[in-house]
Amino acid sequence: MGIKRWFQRKGKQQAEGIETATIVILGSPNVGKSVLFHKLTGRYVTVSNYPGTTVEITRGAMRYRGRSYKVIDSPGMYSFNPITDEERISRRLLLQQKPELALHVVDARNVDRMLPLTLQLIEAGLPVILVLNMIDELERDGLRLEINALRQRLNVPIVATACHNGRGIQELKEQIHAYLAR
Amino acid sequence: MPTSPVEIPLPYSPEIEEAIASLKPILQGSYPISPRALSLLLLQGDEEALDQVREQEGQDAFERAQAVRTRLQDRLSEPVEWHIAQSRHQWGQALVEGALERNAPKKSRGLGEWLGMLCMNPITGFPILALVLYFGLYQFVGIFGAGTVVGLIEENLFGEIINPAVTAFVERVIPWQPIQQLLVGEYGVWTLGVTYAVALILPIVTFFFLVFAVLEDSGYLPRLAMLIDRAFKALGLNGRAVIPIVLGFGCDTMATVVTRVLETKRERILTTFLLSLTIPCSAQLGVVLALLSGHPKGLLIWTGVMIGVFLIAGWLAARVLPGAPAPFYMEIPPMRFPNISNVIVKTLARLQWYFLEVFPLFLIASLMVWIGQLTGLFDLALRALQPVTQWLALPSEAAVAFLFGFFRRDYGAAGLYQLDEQGLLSGNQLLVVAVVLTLFVPCVAQFLVTLKERGWRMALGMLVFTLAFALLVGVFLSWGLQALGIAV
Repeated sequence: MGIKRWFQRKGKQQAEGIETATIVILGSPNVGKSVLFHKLTGRYVTVSNYPGTTVEITRGAMRYRGRSYKVIDSPGMYSFNPITDEERISRRLLLQQKPELALHVVDARNVDRMLPLTLQLIEAGLPVILVLNMIDELERDGLRLEINALRQRLNVPIVATACHNGRGIQELKEQIHAYLAR
Repeated sequence: MPTSPVEIPLPYSPEIEEAIASLKPILQGSYPISPRALSLLLLQGDEEALDQVREQEGQDAFERAQAVRTRLQDRLSEPVEWHIAQSRHQWGQALVEGALERNAPKKSRGLGEWLGMLCMNPITGFPILALVLYFGLYQFVGIFGAGTVVGLIEENLFGEIINPAVTAFVERVIPWQPIQQLLVGEYGVWTLGVTYAVALILPIVTFFFLVFAVLEDSGYLPRLAMLIDRAFKALGLNGRAVIPIVLGFGCDTMATVVTRVLETKRERILTTFLLSLTIPCSAQLGVVLALLSGHPKGLLIWTGVMIGVFLIAGWLAARVLPGAPAPFYMEIPPMRFPNISNVIVKTLARLQWYFLEVFPLFLIASLMVWIGQLTGLFDLALRALQPVTQWLALPSEAAVAFLFGFFRRDYGAAGLYQLDEQGLLSGNQLLVVAVVLTLFVPCVAQFLVTLKERGWRMALGMLVFTLAFALLVGVFLSWGLQALGIAV
């Protein structure tokens, strides 16, 4: 990976077909949104193990099973009630883009603190997939999340991932595809 | 139509639900979010939501909506926002409690977490920071990158092989002397622009970005922010500002954009100011390390002066702009062994971006110097800078470095490199110029970003102030070194 892919990026982008739907990635700062964006689109953004590094909105394309989707990475957002400029940008992005799908990325170790935003997205009537990232960290703590129980209560698709090593990405792509190809 | 329970995962308190119900007939327009979510935003007094409703429903309906909110607030003991946030919070906790189970005792996280704790503890954290700076920056970037590798590329490859060949070629092919001068003259596009950008700056920033990417990917930086936050608090500075400031050591332009993560205008101004004045970017840091690597005492004094200026300027600026610092809160990612492919991708992406930004600027600078030489403006500007070099007790040749420093501080510092190679500067003089150029005006890109983010008045004010301040510190330092009889 790396160098070769990096140089091929430009050519690849031109070869992409018509993007059928828009997907927005959102969540609190530092839960792995930019890594996920990289895994879905192959496009490198300031993937940084450091909160607050996505200040601008980044766009890319995800291709899966012959379809192409527009993917937008957003700056961090703790809640639907914005305090900082970046939160304001994220919310406006969400409301103006009217995405076909919102991926709410959360840190699995702190789901309880991040679920209120999921709730707000569901209340707003936005189509949501909840991405429980850093699931490996939760497991290392000796904990397990009953994903089925959560899914029943929330009634949205939930995928557990560990973006940095690629775990769950395939399942997430499959879920996205299933959701949008309906 | 009865609402299915799925659309309302959480019913709020009866008072709030009643208010939502009485808002329902008022909201007739089309909105990007559901009426329920919009009602909740209205009840929380969200400004964008209020504006939307006023626009779509008219002033009359808007006032009725406001009345619903006032009535609700009267019925509640705490602010509406608090009630809503509480309900959501409790709902989230209950949900997770029901779904979380412990199937094994908490495993020890081993070396990574232990090391992470040590990095954040002030007693062990500062010695670790010193080690990181000494080995990562001084030994690897300064001695090896800026010393050994630049020596090989700049002196041996460019100085002895490529540049003589290019010069000979240009002189044979183009007979016209001014064009020869433009390309391969003393400050020519090739001899100065390309040589500096490729042979001097590029290797230095490559080594720097490599170290930066390793630190970043390992999870050290957020811990550093926590560590420094504790020290900052003692000075009355805000902790969140650590984020753009640490990034500033990579590139101040990028960091100035990142000041957007700060909550208040006051903190954004303070941080932008400190970035403009005191934080050297990677290229600058590399060139300064290269210049002073032969004078360890000078490097120590340079570091001391920078830290001193940072603390004093930060402390004073915080007094000038009063206001309470916001609380600092940050998620700490796990400490882990850096992923090699991440490090490579990050370094390459930064290098590409950096090179695209720096290279054209170096070429334009060479071009402008050429025009200046043809028209005589260059000599005029140098003569205007003569008093400055005299105040700082520098040889008059150093004026060129300051002139170049207006384009980019590292470009100016690169100009010094030549003077140093010719043996024109003493250790003390080198130290003084390094200090002045570090504090000198921000580079063109950083200035433009500051302009965009903070406005004309602020950007120009900072420009003039940093220029005057840099020279003042230089004069004091030069005088102080002499008075104390210090030679580095």
